[in-house]
Amino acid sequence: MAWNEPGGNRNDNDPWGNGGRRGDDQGPPDLDEALKKGLDKLNRMLGGKGKKSGGSGGSTGGGAGGFGAIIALAGILVVGYVVFQSFYTVDEQERAVVLRFGEYNRTENPGLRFKVPLIDDVTKVRVTSVRTAESSGQMLTQDENLVTVDLQVQYRVADAQAYVLNVRDSNQALAFATDSALRHEVGSSSLDDVLTEGRAELAVRVEQRLQRFLGEYGTGLEIVRVNVESTQPPPAVQDAFREVQRAREDEQRVKEEAETYRNKVVPEARGQAQRMIEEANAYKQEVIERARGETARFLELLAVYQKAPTVTRDRLYLQALESVLSNSSKILVDTESSGNMMYLPLDRLTQGSLPRSGGQSSGSGSSQMDIQDLTDQVIKELRTRQDTNVRRSR
Amino acid sequence: MGPKGVVGLAGALIVVLLVLSSVYIIPETHRGVMLRFGELVETDIQAGIHFKVPVIDQVREFDIRVLTMDLPSRQYLTIEKKPLDVDSYIAWKILNVDQFYRATGGDEYRAQSLLLSRVDNGLRDEFGIRTMHEVVSGQRDELMHTLRDRVNETSVNEFGIEVLDVRVKAIEFPGQVSENVYRRMATEREKLAQEFRSRGRELAEGIRADADRQRTVTLAEAFAESEETRGEGDGQAATIYADAYGANAEFYSFYRSLQAYQNTFSSKDDIMVIDSDSDFMKFLKDPQGGR
Repeated sequence: MAWNEPGGNRNDNDPWGNGGRRGDDQGPPDLDEALKKGLDKLNRMLGGKGKKSGGSGGSTGGGAGGFGAIIALAGILVVGYVVFQSFYTVDEQERAVVLRFGEYNRTENPGLRFKVPLIDDVTKVRVTSVRTAESSGQMLTQDENLVTVDLQVQYRVADAQAYVLNVRDSNQALAFATDSALRHEVGSSSLDDVLTEGRAELAVRVEQRLQRFLGEYGTGLEIVRVNVESTQPPPAVQDAFREVQRAREDEQRVKEEAETYRNKVVPEARGQAQRMIEEANAYKQEVIERARGETARFLELLAVYQKAPTVTRDRLYLQALESVLSNSSKILVDTESSGNMMYLPLDRLTQGSLPRSGGQSSGSGSSQMDIQDLTDQVIKELRTRQDTNVRRSR
Repeated sequence: MGPKGVVGLAGALIVVLLVLSSVYIIPETHRGVMLRFGELVETDIQAGIHFKVPVIDQVREFDIRVLTMDLPSRQYLTIEKKPLDVDSYIAWKILNVDQFYRATGGDEYRAQSLLLSRVDNGLRDEFGIRTMHEVVSGQRDELMHTLRDRVNETSVNEFGIEVLDVRVKAIEFPGQVSENVYRRMATEREKLAQEFRSRGRELAEGIRADADRQRTVTLAEAFAESEETRGEGDGQAATIYADAYGANAEFYSFYRSLQAYQNTFSSKDDIMVIDSDSDFMKFLKDPQGGR
């Protein structure tokens, strides 16, 4: 303890030095007297407290009671101060680097710690808390384009001893190294990589490089994480970049439109094809079935015909013609008796027949009349001829 | 006794001061040298507590921690004479305090300015033999290591300083060049945008054409198949007919003709002009049928 005392009050008057001198010279009485008077005055002013310290001073100071008291008071103060100075706390997030006589001695963990005052020099460093540093700016890429990158570095002190002893300004070293590492890695990447897929990888590479730099300088810092917060083309060309984005969208859109077209056309064609094939199948079955039906009918008839050919033949013939003639308009002409030219206004006949099938028309009334007349005329003519024929055949 | 006491006290004070001034502490972050009347008598004093002769011996201590120094941004030309604004820094430390003291008088600022001019020269040389591309991306590490080693060749011996690292922070185009770069970048983007659009149309056209082809082919195949099917039907039907009608060809043609007549004259619109001499009409004119 005595060793520490001089240091504790090096700027004030040195009590140890004073005491030693007194021991050597046996104490100058004049000075003692003067001091004693002064102390007595002080005691009176301070009252009880002064007496108490005076009493304790008396026991240690021996003969020179008052002077001893003041020495003792000073001694107690010094001891108290020294004890107070000897203990310190290290917080959970801190480590303390202790230098003894300037030399590195130890690194203390959290808790209540003791140090030798004046001899031990304690520097506390926050180690667990994560600090951040930023770097941003416009930089060159490998393909000689410019890009603006914002980067955040999260780091902490991993080695308190190195942090305190190796580098004078670790934070500045970190800032410089971050700038350099970032620009180096961006300079080794293409613009597209930095702007798009390469960002995560960029962060990893910057982290590795930065950690290497910090290791080389012995900063005692450890990179926790590097975040590439944003990468953008320079403001002057952002429009052009957005235009590319739009073009990309257009490309997609046009493609989708074409696919929509395909999705419409191809299935429709398949449907049409299916219809054609089904129709063909229907046709095939139809003709076959018809053939079977018709031939069956024919064969049945043939069997009958073979039994009675003439009758069947005549019957079929008459039946068919009856069916034909009963279903059509007809004009009977006796060509034999009219060697001369006979005029049949066929065009008018067919014209006249049209309104019947085509429905009402304005001229239908008159044409109907004409036909009526015509028919009457024809019938009359036929009758007269028939008469003559009959007469002639008789 | 009075004067004697004062003298004693003064003497004691002087002794204490002498003792105190003969003790000195060098911290871990520093190294010291001791000078006696300006002469270097003790070198490379390590951290710890040391003694010296008061008044006569003087101790100088120097920070041996790593220092980083920002170099002012300068313009350098690459081998193709492109100007680049280069911002760099160096990390250095005092390696040999004796040499450092001799070379700089212990003045850090002098040391830095000495280093600065050497690094500046080195950078100029290294940039001058490289293309811009090499400087920006390919050979940064190599350039920096070469430069560091070159500076160290002399600075360690001459200044007692070791340069740990020379690093370029930023390489930038001067202002006017930046404008050109922006224009070029914009042009490149336009090119790219055009490419995207055209490629989109190309793809779309391909897809449409493919769709059209599929349609045509599908329909054609269907046509082929359906014709084939129809043919099969016709063939089978013809076989059936031939088999049946072959039994009596003469009767068939008669029968078939009658059917045809019926089918042909099936409408009231058909007008038949019939000769009364026809077979059908033979009884019409004559109950005996002309016999």
